[in-house]
Amino acid sequence: MNTDNMRTLTLGISASEHYLPVVTSFVESAAMVFGLKKEEYLRLSLATEEIFIYLCNFVCPGKLLDVECFNGFYYTRVLFRFSATEMNLSGLNIASNISYERDSDLEAMGLSIASRSIDYLNVIVEKNNRICLTVTKEKVYPAHQEKLPAPLIAENLFTEVPDAEMLKCLAILTAQYYFLPYRPSFFTYPGKLVDMVSGGEYSAIVAKNRKKEIVGGILFCYRTEKIVQCFGPYCFCREQEKAISAALLDACIGRIARTRALGLLSLWGLPESLQNNFEALGTLRYHEEGKTPMDEVSFYRLLHEDPGFEVWSSGGITDYLRREYRRLALARDVRTIRDMGETRLGTSLFSAEVYRDQLTVTLRPLLAGDDYAANVDRHIRFLRKENFRNIYFELDLGVSWHAELMDVLTANHFKPGIILPFAGKSDLLIFQYYDETES
Amino acid sequence: MLVPAYVREFEPYIPSKPDQELMKLYGCERLYRLNNNENPLGPPPGAQEVIRRFSPSKGSVYPSGDSYYLRREIAALHNIDPDQILVGNGANEVITFVIKAFCEKGDNIITADKTFAVYEWVATFSGIEARVVPLVEERFDDREMLRKMDANTKIVFICNPNNPTGTYWSQEVLINFLDAVGGNRIVVIDEAYFEFVEAGDFPNGVTLLADYPNVVVFRTFSKMYGLAALRIGYLMGDINVVDMIRRTCVVYSVNALAQEAARAALRDDTNHIQRTRDLVGKSKEFLREELAGMNLSVIANEGNYIIIKLPGSDTLAYRKLMYEGIMIRPMTGFRYPNHIRVTLAQMEAMEAFIAALKKILKT
Repeated sequence: MNTDNMRTLTLGISASEHYLPVVTSFVESAAMVFGLKKEEYLRLSLATEEIFIYLCNFVCPGKLLDVECFNGFYYTRVLFRFSATEMNLSGLNIASNISYERDSDLEAMGLSIASRSIDYLNVIVEKNNRICLTVTKEKVYPAHQEKLPAPLIAENLFTEVPDAEMLKCLAILTAQYYFLPYRPSFFTYPGKLVDMVSGGEYSAIVAKNRKKEIVGGILFCYRTEKIVQCFGPYCFCREQEKAISAALLDACIGRIARTRALGLLSLWGLPESLQNNFEALGTLRYHEEGKTPMDEVSFYRLLHEDPGFEVWSSGGITDYLRREYRRLALARDVRTIRDMGETRLGTSLFSAEVYRDQLTVTLRPLLAGDDYAANVDRHIRFLRKENFRNIYFELDLGVSWHAELMDVLTANHFKPGIILPFAGKSDLLIFQYYDETES
Repeated sequence: MLVPAYVREFEPYIPSKPDQELMKLYGCERLYRLNNNENPLGPPPGAQEVIRRFSPSKGSVYPSGDSYYLRREIAALHNIDPDQILVGNGANEVITFVIKAFCEKGDNIITADKTFAVYEWVATFSGIEARVVPLVEERFDDREMLRKMDANTKIVFICNPNNPTGTYWSQEVLINFLDAVGGNRIVVIDEAYFEFVEAGDFPNGVTLLADYPNVVVFRTFSKMYGLAALRIGYLMGDINVVDMIRRTCVVYSVNALAQEAARAALRDDTNHIQRTRDLVGKSKEFLREELAGMNLSVIANEGNYIIIKLPGSDTLAYRKLMYEGIMIRPMTGFRYPNHIRVTLAQMEAMEAFIAALKKILKT
């Protein structure tokens, strides 16, 4: 066995509290081997403990589950995988313990408390009706404070894939020339950027001048199965920004043009000179603690011909979709769902993708039910109580029952923000929650 | 996992929907297909007659498994042995034959970054590394391709003239390249657009087969001969090389109608090639002039297509043009973002395209 390639370690175990020490020891040991420091792996272990106990008591007691530890280089992720058959899946709603009637019950437990000690939490439904619940703890990296000399010329531009040392320079220069929040915070930590690329989730390209100095860079990764998100291009030679940005974007597209990627997305900081190469999808508002909210336009470009397809809608969103699809010149057959009195059973399940440091949660419907209004309300009350400021709800317009949530969301102060073409089974519609108490 | 990673990771090509579906989707009453470099004149008249008169009763009979008569006619045309020829279900199939015949795990092929995608695709989903060399001034870079070769390089694919740039290697460049490569690797010269080229120094790959037994030449009936719907193309090479490739070739993949129509196309006596060239030339001049007037730069060389650089996204232009009843090829997938490729077709289509392009660039 080549241990260097062992990025996933798996423990098969019964969901019984009796085995809790085995599970926490496994996660601690794995996280330690994967490079987390003591404080970090203890936090991950704490989250694991909360989740395992919760699964044992409320979700899948006595059933078999796999606990996996994944080495993402800049993070360790623990995945709990189990069959969804005949289980209390509503317990996987992050707000599942919240009483609909009484505010006094806003006492977090289970998934919510687990989310407090880690950086990222998510639940997804996989093939064969398997549930995968993940918690992620990132490594802590030293910030770099020194400055690098500015590159003065951008003649004889060329692009290349950077090695580790070049990546560190890219991070330092990006942090030097772009202030938060106009770039992601990870550029503050050069070592983290190196690990993000080494781990295989992110790719980078740098632009250099004839002196082989780095004059710009772009980072990109798969945001969904078919959509690549780019960060940048960033330019460190401002008078040549247009040429550098264009060269980096061309190189990025060259790398992904013949892959499974169907679209390229830029959520923040696309240079003005490149905006004509993209299509403006719409605006999302970002809140940061203690700062004025920022409205950011999201940009997108398809990489191939759009084949056109049908999407599902309901209520007032139908007009919005038709208007937006006309504006975006996307050929879509917008079909509306109809309630014909059919019986709906069960409790719905929403996954919550939680980025606690960014105060951000993205909710997604996983299972249909007859309690959408109550479940949405419960989530909003819980997430606001937990001080999440950026609350998004993502619907897949290719899944007809997701459209049942549209009216519920608009009634609960969500507004449609952007359509992400091809990001799901078909396009995704991202709703944003607007707190009416804020100006 | 049952499926190899190189297959799992490969994104299947999504062909466009049938014209009727597209017209419905985009709400247009007619659709000019300017995306696939098809010949608007259709097949030569003799081939059209063969298609019209094809007897339904022949539908129940297997075709010649190795395109027996067609290979003889192609051989006579090029003065080579019929066994130096393999016919496939379009040139795409013969690409697959060649890669299967010569490559195994650990091998690589070399081609350009901005060229016909199928060489790269077939290699990639077969688990073979595809090394793509950037074009220089829209041309295949011979020196860099030589530099990229190593002991595991089995095939070099040269698209001559190149789709989509229309640039080509002259006889001199090609021969120098073949001499530098030596005889230990296969050099494929894809001449899908051979019949469109009028330049005097353009090489005919078939004439090199005697001196360079490692050369394999591709031709197709889909472009100049207007038989794209019937899917038929072929390769030519040294008899021993073709004997190896034949082992990976699935017989009976070329249908009887395609074989008969292709034979009739080769026998054309109506000046089909010159008529097509005239149409392409006239359309090229028209587009050059119109596009220059719109301050749009073009890449227009050999072949029945032209590349246009747009001020914005090519995939957005594709959608907007579809609403105007014009289907072009966005070039991001060819690694030419913000460029579109347009087939040089009949003047009516060219005029409609220019009118639509002016309209969408205004909005």
